Amino acid sequence: MKFIAEKLISFITTIIFVSLITFLAIQVLPGDPSLLILGTEGDPASREIIREQLGLNENIVVRYFKWIIGVFRGDLGQSIRYSVPVRDLISDALPLTLWLAFLAVILSLVISIPLGIGLAVKGGSVLDLLGSLIMQIGMSVPAFWIGILLIQLFAVKLQWLPPGGYGSFVSFILPVLALALPRAAVLTRVVRANMLDEFREDYLRTARSKGLPQGKVLYKHALRNVAISIFTVAGIHLTQLLVGTIVIEQVFSLPGLGQLLLAAVLQRDLPLVQGLVFIGAVLILTANLCFDFLIAALDPRVRFE
Amino acid sequence: MKNKKALRLIVIVISLFILTVPMAAANEKVLNIAVQADPDSFDPTRSVAAATVEIAFNIYEGLVKANEYGELEAALATHWEIDPSQTVYTFYLRDAYFHNGQKVTVDDVVNAINRARDPQIGQKAGEYQAIESVYGEDNRVIVKLRAPHGPLIYEFADLAMAIYPKDAANLANQPIGTGPYKFVEWRPNQSIKLARFDEHWADAKPYFEEVNFRIIPDDHSAILNLKTGFVDLIPRLDASLLHQVEGDPRINVLAAPMNLVQLLVINNQDPILKDLRVRQAIALAIDREEIIFGAAWGNGDPIYTGLSPAMPKFYNDSLEDVYPYDPDRAKKLLAEAGYDKLEFTFYLPAQYSLHVNTGEIIAEQLNRVGIKANIEIIDWGTWLDKVYTQRDYQLSIVGLTGKLDPHAILVRYTSDSSRNFFNFDNQEYDRIIAEAIDVPDEQRVQLYRQAQKIMTENVAGVFIMDPSQLVITSKDLKGWKNYPIYVIDVAALYR
Repeated sequence: MKFIAEKLISFITTIIFVSLITFLAIQVLPGDPSLLILGTEGDPASREIIREQLGLNENIVVRYFKWIIGVFRGDLGQSIRYSVPVRDLISDALPLTLWLAFLAVILSLVISIPLGIGLAVKGGSVLDLLGSLIMQIGMSVPAFWIGILLIQLFAVKLQWLPPGGYGSFVSFILPVLALALPRAAVLTRVVRANMLDEFREDYLRTARSKGLPQGKVLYKHALRNVAISIFTVAGIHLTQLLVGTIVIEQVFSLPGLGQLLLAAVLQRDLPLVQGLVFIGAVLILTANLCFDFLIAALDPRVRFE
Repeated sequence: MKNKKALRLIVIVISLFILTVPMAAANEKVLNIAVQADPDSFDPTRSVAAATVEIAFNIYEGLVKANEYGELEAALATHWEIDPSQTVYTFYLRDAYFHNGQKVTVDDVVNAINRARDPQIGQKAGEYQAIESVYGEDNRVIVKLRAPHGPLIYEFADLAMAIYPKDAANLANQPIGTGPYKFVEWRPNQSIKLARFDEHWADAKPYFEEVNFRIIPDDHSAILNLKTGFVDLIPRLDASLLHQVEGDPRINVLAAPMNLVQLLVINNQDPILKDLRVRQAIALAIDREEIIFGAAWGNGDPIYTGLSPAMPKFYNDSLEDVYPYDPDRAKKLLAEAGYDKLEFTFYLPAQYSLHVNTGEIIAEQLNRVGIKANIEIIDWGTWLDKVYTQRDYQLSIVGLTGKLDPHAILVRYTSDSSRNFFNFDNQEYDRIIAEAIDVPDEQRVQLYRQAQKIMTENVAGVFIMDPSQLVITSKDLKGWKNYPIYVIDVAALYR
C-alpha cells in the first residue's frame, strides 16, 4: 500500500513539474501563434486582435494556473491550430501510437527470444557469428531507413501493402516492422548474452544431467531467469516508443501523437503541446509503473527490497 | 499439439484478412491529393494560411474569382459595374445555392463583406479599408468607396471575401460555401474530404465525385503514395526529389511558374548594409544561374525585381543588366566603401529546403567577393519573430507569394508599410505606389514598372528566382490548371 502511495505521489509531482517546464520552454521559443497564423502578411494591428482572441495577452502565471486547473477537471483546453478541444485531438491520435508501440515491442520479443536462445545454443559457431553480425547491423540502422526500404520492397515493388496512411490493420504491418527490427536486434543480443551466462550456472547442468529435454531446460529454467533482463530492456523500448514514433509516423504518414506534437510545436500551439507532453508523461510513468510491477511479479527478490 | 493448431488458425485468419483488404482505392471518380499540412481554419475571416486557401478555393466563392490567367471572372455575381467616379461598384447577384440548400441572398453577401472589412473580425480587414459602405438593393450589392482604389476589385477574389450564409456558425470546422465542392469531413493530421456539389450554379459538372486531401508531411512518402496509386496528385514537389519521379511511366510532371518571388532579404537599415555600395556589391556577387541549377535543379526562372514574370503585364523585363554577375566589380565597390572583409549573419528558414539550399550557395558566392555570411538555420516561427517582426537581422532568404494585383505585392516595400521587413526607404518609390492607386490601367503599368526599377537599382533586396511549381500527377489525371495564386482547381481535373 505504501509502495503504491509513494509511486502515486511521485507520479503527480513529476507531471506538474513536466507541465511547468513545457509551459516555460514554449514561452522562451521565439515567435507566437499570432505570427504563425499571419505569416508574411501580418501587421501589428491584426496580430494584436489575434493575441487578444487567443488569450495570449493574459499574464503567464494566470494562464498556467488556468491550464492546470482545467487539467484536474479533465479539460486540456482548446487547440489554437485546429480550433477544437485538445482532448479530442489527442484521443484521436493516441490509439494509433499505443498500438504502434505495443505491437512493435511484442513483435521484437517474438523475434528476439527464440533467435537469441538459438544463437546462444550455437554459441561460438559460424551461425552465431553471422547472427551477431546481422544483429550489429540491425542495431545501427535507423528505423526510418528500414521503413523506407520496407516501403520500397512491399509497397512499390511487390505492391502487397500500402505505403502509408491509416486505414486498417494492414497499414500497421510495415511501420511496426520498421520499429520492431532494430529493437529486436538489441533484444536478441540481450537474450543471447544472458543465456550464455546462464549456461554456465550449476542449476542448468543439474537440470540437464537429470535428463530434462533441451527445450524444457531452455524455456522453463533458463528463460525464466533471463526474463528480467529481457523485460527491463523491452520496458525501456516501450517507453521510448510511446513518445518516439514521430519519425516513423512521418515516413508512413500516420496521424499519431508524434505528428501531432511536431505540428503543434512548429505552430506554437501551446495548449496542444501542453496536452501532448502531459499525456506523454502520463503514458511513460504508467508504463514504468507497469514494468515495475511485472518485474516484481517475475522476481520475488524485488518485492522484498 | 493444441498450441500448434491455434497458431495455424491465427495465421489463416490473418492472411484472409490481408487478402480481403482492397489495395488502392478502386473508384475512379475519387481523387486523392497529397498536401503537406492541415488547413488553419476554414473561416474566411480567420484564415490566411496558403494550405487553407488551396483547399477552400473549391468550397467557397466570392462575387468574383480569378482564372488561371490571373483575370477576374464572374462567380456569385453574374457581372459588375464600376461607375465613372471609380467609387461605386455594383454587383449583380446570381441565383445560387449554399451547400446547406439555402438560397444565396443579398443579405448574406452584405454580411460577409462587412465582416471581412471589420478590423475586429476580419484578419485581412486592412485590405478593405477603402470601402466606405455596403448595402443591397433587389439582387444588387452596392459597394461604396471612400476614394478610387484600383487594386480593390482584385481583393474581392480573395478567400477573405468568400460568401457564406449569414447565420452560419462554426465555419472554422464546418465550412458552408457555394463552390463546386462541399465539405464533408476534416480529420486533423489525416485528411479533408470534399464531395461534389450537384446544385452548383455552373452547368458543367466536375468529373470527380469525391476528393480527399491527404495530409502527408513528408515528400518522400507522398511520392511513394503516388507510385502505388494511393494518391493521384502532388501539387507542389520539392525540386530535389524530382529525380525520383522523372522517367517513371506511371507519372506526369508539369512545371510552371509559381508567381513566387524568392529573394535575398537585406536589412536596408543595418549600419553596414545601409551603404548602397555594399548592397550593390552583394547584388553583383550573386550568380542566379548557378543558384537555379544548384538549388532548384534548373526549375526556376531568374528574376531581377520584386515581381514575377508570371505577371507579364506589369513585369519590368529590362532590369536584367542593372547588376549582372560581376564579382570583380563587387570587390571594387566594397573597397570603395572602405571594407575589405565583411561578416554577416545569414538566417535561413529551416522548413523551406529551397531557401536553405539557395542560402548555402549564396554564402559561397558572397565568400568569393570577401563577404563572410554565417548561416544560421532557424525554424519558421523564429524567422517570423526575428526577421519579419523585429527586423533584427542582416541577411535572409524568403519567398513572397504572388497576388493577383501588383499593388498588393509592391506596397510592402513602401517605407511606412508594416510588412516592409526589408526596411526599404525610398521616397520616390512611396510616391509612385501611392499615385498608382487611382489612375487608369495603362498608366498603372508604367508606374509599376518604374517602381520595380527603383527597387532593383537601390537593391531593396536581391531578387533571385520564381521557382517552378512542380505538379506531379498519375498518368491518367488531366486538366491541371496553373494559377498565379496558391490554389488547386479540383473542378477542372478529370481522368
